[in-house]
Amino acid sequence: MFNAIRRPFGYEPVLTKEDLKKSPDNKNERAKNWKSTLLRIWKLVDEQRTLLIIVLTLVFVSSAMALLGPFLIGYIIDTYIVPGAFEGMGLIIGWLVVVYVLHSVTLYLQNYWMVGIAQQVVYQMRAGLFGHFQRLPVSFFDKRQHGELMSRMTNDIENVSSTLNTSFIQVFSSILTLVGTAVVMVFLSPILTVLTFIIIPIMYWSVRWITKRTGRLYKEQQKAVGDLNGMIEETISGQKIVKAFSQEDRVMDEFLVKSERLRRNGFWAWTYAGFIPKVMNFLNNGSFAIVAGVGGLLALNGSVTIGVIVIFTEYSRQFTRPLNDLANQFNTVLSAIAGAERVFAIMDEAEEADDTKHNAEKRLEGKVEFDNVSFKYEGAEEEWTIRNLSFTVETGQTAAFVGATGAGKTTVMQLLARFYDVDEGEIRIDGTPIGAMPRETLRKQIAFVLQDPFLFEASVSDNIRYGKLDASDEEVVEAAKQANAHDFISKLPEGYDTVLSGDGSMISQGQKQLLSIARALIADPVILLLDEATSSIDTVTELKIQEALERLMEGRTSFVIAHRLNTVRKADFVYVMELGKLVESGSQDELLKQDGLYATMLADAKL
Amino acid sequence: MKTVFSYTKPYSFLIGVALFLMLLELVVELLQPLVIASIIDDGIVAGDQDTIIRLGLVLMGLSLIGFLSGVVNSYFASHASHSFSFDVRRAVYERVQSFSLAMFNKFPASGLITRLTSDIQMIQQVLYMGLRIMLRAPLIVIGSMVMAFVVNAQLAIYLVIVFPILLVFLYVMVRKGVVYFSFVQRRLDKVNRMVQENLQAVRLIKAYLRGKYEANRFSEVAGALKTDMVKAFRIMEIILPILLFGMNVSLLAVIWFGAFGIQSGDAQIGELVAIVNYAMRMTGAFSMFSFIIMAFARAKASSDRIEEVLLADDDGEAVNGATVPLREGTVRFDDVSFAYPGTSRRVLQHISFELAPREKLAIMGATGSGKTSLLQLIPRFYEATEGSVSVHGRDVREWDLQELRKTIGLVPQQSMLFTGSISNNLSWGKEQAALWELQGAAEKAQIDETVQRFPKGYETRVGQKGVNLSGGQKQRLSIARALVRKPSILILDDSTSALDVKTESALWAELDKEQATTLLVTQKVRTAMRADRILLLEDGVASAYGTHDELLNMSPLYREIAQSQQAEEVDEYV
Repeated sequence: MFNAIRRPFGYEPVLTKEDLKKSPDNKNERAKNWKSTLLRIWKLVDEQRTLLIIVLTLVFVSSAMALLGPFLIGYIIDTYIVPGAFEGMGLIIGWLVVVYVLHSVTLYLQNYWMVGIAQQVVYQMRAGLFGHFQRLPVSFFDKRQHGELMSRMTNDIENVSSTLNTSFIQVFSSILTLVGTAVVMVFLSPILTVLTFIIIPIMYWSVRWITKRTGRLYKEQQKAVGDLNGMIEETISGQKIVKAFSQEDRVMDEFLVKSERLRRNGFWAWTYAGFIPKVMNFLNNGSFAIVAGVGGLLALNGSVTIGVIVIFTEYSRQFTRPLNDLANQFNTVLSAIAGAERVFAIMDEAEEADDTKHNAEKRLEGKVEFDNVSFKYEGAEEEWTIRNLSFTVETGQTAAFVGATGAGKTTVMQLLARFYDVDEGEIRIDGTPIGAMPRETLRKQIAFVLQDPFLFEASVSDNIRYGKLDASDEEVVEAAKQANAHDFISKLPEGYDTVLSGDGSMISQGQKQLLSIARALIADPVILLLDEATSSIDTVTELKIQEALERLMEGRTSFVIAHRLNTVRKADFVYVMELGKLVESGSQDELLKQDGLYATMLADAKL
Repeated sequence: MKTVFSYTKPYSFLIGVALFLMLLELVVELLQPLVIASIIDDGIVAGDQDTIIRLGLVLMGLSLIGFLSGVVNSYFASHASHSFSFDVRRAVYERVQSFSLAMFNKFPASGLITRLTSDIQMIQQVLYMGLRIMLRAPLIVIGSMVMAFVVNAQLAIYLVIVFPILLVFLYVMVRKGVVYFSFVQRRLDKVNRMVQENLQAVRLIKAYLRGKYEANRFSEVAGALKTDMVKAFRIMEIILPILLFGMNVSLLAVIWFGAFGIQSGDAQIGELVAIVNYAMRMTGAFSMFSFIIMAFARAKASSDRIEEVLLADDDGEAVNGATVPLREGTVRFDDVSFAYPGTSRRVLQHISFELAPREKLAIMGATGSGKTSLLQLIPRFYEATEGSVSVHGRDVREWDLQELRKTIGLVPQQSMLFTGSISNNLSWGKEQAALWELQGAAEKAQIDETVQRFPKGYETRVGQKGVNLSGGQKQRLSIARALVRKPSILILDDSTSALDVKTESALWAELDKEQATTLLVTQKVRTAMRADRILLLEDGVASAYGTHDELLNMSPLYREIAQSQQAEEVDEYV
């Protein structure tokens, strides 16, 4: 029996006694969190103060109309119907129609504008979160699942949306009604008022007991949603692998575990939150009984009249009804706060360190120096990814990086683009440390061609134009021609206007790479970073690409990573890396003469 | 909505209990005014102190019953709605897992994600509300109506007159709401899609300084969502004022005609007051109504979207079929032509070849010539449009898909790893594989040493899509994953591109020892020479097929490639 209560329907309790005991510390923190979360939402709402004032005025008017209607009806009954004198009744009824029209109109308008306010707030949260994504360092994204972040953008913000839509007005009008009735009640009978108010501390205490649990449970629920989202995103994006390895069952099992966690947290959160209106109702009814009972006894010795009791029972209902309404909203309010908290948590993540704002538009020459650079990834498994790396690439030169996989070649490029900041040493371009250079200046001069080409769900020409937003159609075609992409683009159903679907499955991997090269070509960078850019392009095409790249590299400083030595061969300098360190460097011929690692690699390649 | 809500069936008992408790609560609530009236009439007016105390206690007892049924209802409603959504979620996800790949073009990942979370949450909420408050409003309306008729049918008629009009109005609004809310959910898909895209392309966006550009693009998408959301809600907000106005006007009619009734003696003042009272109660209930209707419209829109997936016209993937190979390790393409579903362009035309067990076929060709498409037909990701593909001596269409795929080790072009540990990822190839098996495969894939160097070894966490590993490491893990299952057919789709020459040749040496029939896509003649035969694709047509030497004689294109690559090697050597 005891178990059935503690574990209804077999649900394990998610909050243990220990969890709740831990709260003294957390309690303050949580209260502070709530407060600051609500404050931040309020600030966003407050940005539309004019509309807000209009809405609140309308709420005031419509509440007044809502009270005036029954009052006038009472008046009609008392003055016309009871005495049976109907003259002049038509006029009052006419007024009533006005009141009703006004009520409906103000009601509609207040909601009409409130929806606008609420959705504007939600929009700002979304845009703010997205804008913040753009300013977060790359390392932030390394640590998080895409689906989980997506969940914050949709599910969490949705919770805020539905709450703002409905609860905001409700809270305000409830407070209005509450104050109004309280005043009238004190006026009628102070003793009975005190009796009615007895329930308020009990209410407060029980709501606190519940929110102590639900606050945390809702947070857990939203976390579970995020987790599930992350898993779904990964497995749906990687559906081919799931199928190829016949892992549907395994994925399903994992899904069920995560889904079950959501169900469990959701169950407890909703169950506890569901208590609130019931508690309110109970106290409500309790106070009703107290007023009726005690009032009755008081009426016996004549200290209150029957009329007052009748009015009081009515008013105590009126008084607690808004509280009840508030309590009914609690469910959504709580999950909205949990959602907003998760959104703000991301917004509070540190942005990429602030840029020093000077000479933002200067075009660089392109001399690159690495001076004793060391770097390791945050939470990386290996000690140093890059260790004491020093070299100089003069303006317009091509530097090739070779070495085993995991030697740190790609990292060198990522450091140069300042996706990550170095831990030790300094990287300089034209003598200026890149740390002292606005990121914008730096990246404007750099174009990347990455190993896994990424294309956006947009037309082919838009994808190429990504390198230079104001490029003309002719420029786009020219870049495509140079990258040897023009031929296959022309064969696509709608040529340059063909919209590439989500995963770009319409075109092959190699064709994607051609497009990403065209994108780099159109950007006209000073420094060119090619990371395995030609790895998935067949040899015949590669020869043509090679020509285009050579033309492109002319006059630009280029960093090239390639495992194909024919790509490397054209470089002015070759840097051989091993485990994050530079082990050999020099021109092709010099390295061959040294007969070191590079020579061995070449010999191996021949095998 | 029917299909989705059929998932409530297993919980009909729970739902029944929840509804019963809700009714009990309601009854208690309705009894209270009667008791109060009795306190006043029998207690206070009669001056009977005992009755006051007794009835006061009865009132308390009733409150307690109402409270308890409310609290217990909370458990049942919460359980039923969460279990229901859990089941729907499972059903949708299961359905998605059974989709053929072509379906993923129809339902992009972002849309499926919204359905599995946001949409399901919507219907869960409606069920929960239904079990707690939804019936209250209609019951109050009906109850008050019945009472009004009992009191004075002639006057009550005026309350009923507006009902049909209001019902038609509600119906129209719900219809509208469903349409608008389905727009909203579709916009949500777009938001999801754009966030997903941006997360995948973080580096690219940063490198091209397109942060602001993307933020603007997003503003458009989010702005469109806002506009549709506002539209949907504003339509819904019309409901309440109209309902209230309708009720209020009929209330006035009651008073107006009531007044005449009293004059002519057809009605009593008390009756009129009572009916006015009931009408006001109904009006109060109507405000709850509009809230419910909005929730219902949203839920309907969401459940339609869920049903789109559940009832999608896709024969999915045949699960039942042959499970035993006839001639293990053989692969045969018999005059195969192929166009992606929904397109007309043939990416493969009249391809025929046959591989005996342990034979190796190298596939070469320009980008877009159909290499990957050809490989995808073997595990039956797609079906041949014409001709037949046979594996292990059976047409792939006769195979039980899971069994067929279990015999194949696939290494895709883009190595896709999942969040979890390295050993976790490798065991995708073979569940319950022992560590030594994983290690063995990793060794062959030339990655064991690297993994051992990590402080946590095989328990190292792989981040989202393997972000914390280098391209080469990912490729080798992806190869190891395929080798763990000791496949009888191995498919390598240009999966060694990020490997340096030394690692690659060591890898090929290991792969040569494998007992598997191998199909590999490569750009390198040197690698192709390791194969027994080479298939050269040009625009989906097999332009040449044979051994290295045969192709050198036969195919000018092959000769050209071979010469260009040989020239390099000579160069390299100098």
